Amino acid sequence: MQGRCAAGLLVCLLGLVSPAVLSGESGPCVVDDAERRVCLQAPARRIVSLSPGATELLFAAGAGEWIEGTVRYSDYPAAAKRIPRVGTHSRFDIEKLLALSPDLVVAWISGNPAEQVERLQALGMTVYYSEPRRFEDVSSTLERLGLLAGTTDVARTAIAEFNAAIDELEARYRDADPVPIFYQIWDDPLMTVNDSHLISQAIELCGGRNVFGAADRLVPRLDRESVLAAAPEAIVAGGMGEDDTGWLEAWERFPGFTAVRRGNLFFVPPSYIQRPTPRVAEGSRILCEHLETARGRR
Amino acid sequence: MPRLFPPLLLLAGIAVAAMLLAVAVGSVSIPVAGLWAVVQGDGDQLHRTVVLELRVPRVLAAFATGGLLAVAGALMQVLLRNPLADPYVLGLSGGAAVGALSAMLLGLGAVMVPGSAFAGALVSTVLVFGIAHGTGSWTPTRLLLTGVVVAAGWGAVVTFMLVIGPTERIPGMLYWLMGDLAYARSPWPAMFVLALACLLIMPLGRSLNVLARGPLQAATLGVAVRPLEWSVYVAASVLTAAAVTTAGAIGFVGLIVPHMLRLLIGSDQRLILPASALAGGTLLVLADTLARTLIAPEQLPVGVITALLGVPTFLYLLYRSR
Repeated sequence: MQGRCAAGLLVCLLGLVSPAVLSGESGPCVVDDAERRVCLQAPARRIVSLSPGATELLFAAGAGEWIEGTVRYSDYPAAAKRIPRVGTHSRFDIEKLLALSPDLVVAWISGNPAEQVERLQALGMTVYYSEPRRFEDVSSTLERLGLLAGTTDVARTAIAEFNAAIDELEARYRDADPVPIFYQIWDDPLMTVNDSHLISQAIELCGGRNVFGAADRLVPRLDRESVLAAAPEAIVAGGMGEDDTGWLEAWERFPGFTAVRRGNLFFVPPSYIQRPTPRVAEGSRILCEHLETARGRR
Repeated sequence: MPRLFPPLLLLAGIAVAAMLLAVAVGSVSIPVAGLWAVVQGDGDQLHRTVVLELRVPRVLAAFATGGLLAVAGALMQVLLRNPLADPYVLGLSGGAAVGALSAMLLGLGAVMVPGSAFAGALVSTVLVFGIAHGTGSWTPTRLLLTGVVVAAGWGAVVTFMLVIGPTERIPGMLYWLMGDLAYARSPWPAMFVLALACLLIMPLGRSLNVLARGPLQAATLGVAVRPLEWSVYVAASVLTAAAVTTAGAIGFVGLIVPHMLRLLIGSDQRLILPASALAGGTLLVLADTLARTLIAPEQLPVGVITALLGVPTFLYLLYRSR
């Protein structure tokens, strides 16, 4: 990595200091989410994406047509479904990946197995580690991926649209009455998220309050009793698919519970809000409308 | 002694054939001419990387790990005089699992996982040794009971870690628990331990034959039973620790390979031990080849394949043997 950076060394060093994104003489150079410098000789033209979220971000940044390989569940946008697979995000086929001879691999820090990504680096591949956690990270990831692929114009348009959508929601719900909500990301075991999670940021944006926001773990596991005790006004859940509301029906056996009594059991398609991609703006909009409905039922 | 050689030569032949097959197949299809070019030191750059940097080290690691597990299983079965004994029966894989999963939970990175697995395995070995030694008299039954109970304790700790672990780390932890050669960083430590073990244990074959008949008989025939038993325990533990450190807790190889060999070639330890090394290695090489190609590009944990291959083969041999 250092070797490839040599010509643009100064640029790479500057990259460490303040703006995460800079362009060098020998090709694009950025700092990834693992605080490593990632430099290319030329814009990336053979990209492998190791998570469905990274695939979406690459498409949004204008680099979609250069993705040569990805992992299972990369289903958005529709063109992503036709990209050859190299395995799953938790175990991929290094041989197959190597055969694609990628000039850039976009890895997922918390989702990909460390030993496999380290092997890719040992084999001489250029790896960009990605771990967007907040709305701001979505924008900065688009910027950096756009720079690596030489599609900065497309990326900046996507960033502007994304920021505008978020700003609009922010302006509309800034002074809205807080609604305590429980967001369920998994059923059996029951799981939610704390305030460090992107979903909780979306809840705050909509003027909601995550009842488990102060939990210690990013994804706490709960029993139903603790949810009843937290007395949220609304329950929002994803599901096993993009239109599976089965998890919400399970709450209907507690008719005395405020959220159930008022009919505030809401569904948000999971891929709109559980993946840190530009689509989270749309997911947030759906969530905000649900919370507004809940306010109307007080 | 010469009558021992034909079966070993046959097994060695099968092992070499299995390794060649494993090097030849994978997601990247390489024609025989391409393989030959790589062997001769040139050929396509992609082919060279795939064969020399991915397949050959992985095949060697699989062979060494399988060999270690099978020899450790054979030793445990003699030591405990119990056909159900396998390398993990005394809780060693549990200790290693707690070590490896702790490293993963703390996010120490792939480099630290083998080291903490090895440390966990040694802690478990010393713990079982110390408690089984205790204050009273020592017997294989006591060692076995101690090991089984310690293993149950580790099992509970592993379950606890899986429950409190961050959701995104669970798949990696499960792959480690089922065993997977993707964790093998370098085949050489495991190969070295296997070679050393074969050299050191082979001369003990005759004494082990006597020990297998029971400690009283062995003592009558002039074998120093207690030192022999402890050496076997330490040897089996080190072998298992090396295997688990290389590729996670791969099940089943250590249990069935020695039994299969006994059904096929009798129970002379001088033959069983080297044969276990060869047959265990071969089984794991074949299982790993299937694990990485069966539903490619998706990868299976090799432990699934060892059981799927081993169970029917073993049951057939058992059924056939009266």
